[in-house]
Amino acid sequence: MARSTARLIFAAVLLSIACAAGARELQTPQTPWRQLTPEQQRILGPVGPEWDRMPGYQQQRLLGAARQYPSMQPIQKDRFERRIRDWSQMTPEQRRAARETFQGLRRLPPERQHELRERWLRAHPERSHR
Amino acid sequence: MNEKEFAQRLRPWLARIESTVGEVQATRLGAARRRALDAVREPVRLFGLITVAASTAQTIRYSIVQRSLLWLPMAALLATLAFQTTRTADPGAIDAQLLTQELPPDAFLDQDFQAWLDQPQG
Repeated sequence: MARSTARLIFAAVLLSIACAAGARELQTPQTPWRQLTPEQQRILGPVGPEWDRMPGYQQQRLLGAARQYPSMQPIQKDRFERRIRDWSQMTPEQRRAARETFQGLRRLPPERQHELRERWLRAHPERSHR
Repeated sequence: MNEKEFAQRLRPWLARIESTVGEVQATRLGAARRRALDAVREPVRLFGLITVAASTAQTIRYSIVQRSLLWLPMAALLATLAFQTTRTADPGAIDAQLLTQELPPDAFLDQDFQAWLDQPQG
């Protein structure tokens, strides 16, 4: 009986720790715009006006994306600058759905990925330069 | 009096004193029972390596299952934390890739695109 109770308590503690780990993302503190480095402010400039209203986890994701910027090719930098504002204005659910679909695409063989990209661009010719 | 009759006479006595047996006595009685059963049971070969008494083999098997069940939540927690760590190591890396590849991010919200993704490869 005592061992069963101890086991139950142990399982409850583990469950609480797991929940706390899951909730950590929602508790990420905000980073004020003025605390960003000039380089970060330049890269994240398109979302500057909305920055201080964003939740902390979204700011951290954008800062993470900005860290990749220096190693991007010129065409990637151009896309990043054009798309980041629309991206930050999507709802969290839309961003999560887009990430999941993107990751689903990346799990496919390269030739299938290429085929699907081409198919989408053929269906939306007006979007091919965005 | 044969063995069966003796057992039938003994049973009400044992049932009556069952509630008065303490934890220590119950453990001793359990051990005595296992020894008695070991005396009549065939020894068991474990994993083809060692030969042990039947009750010991039973205890070991029970212990393995019990411990596995106990460690299961721990394993689940560690897997969750490992997943979280890899995901939060650089949470923007996937976003950066998504923002800089050929298709605009909203293409991945397109229901047609999602349907194509689910289609089996031809």
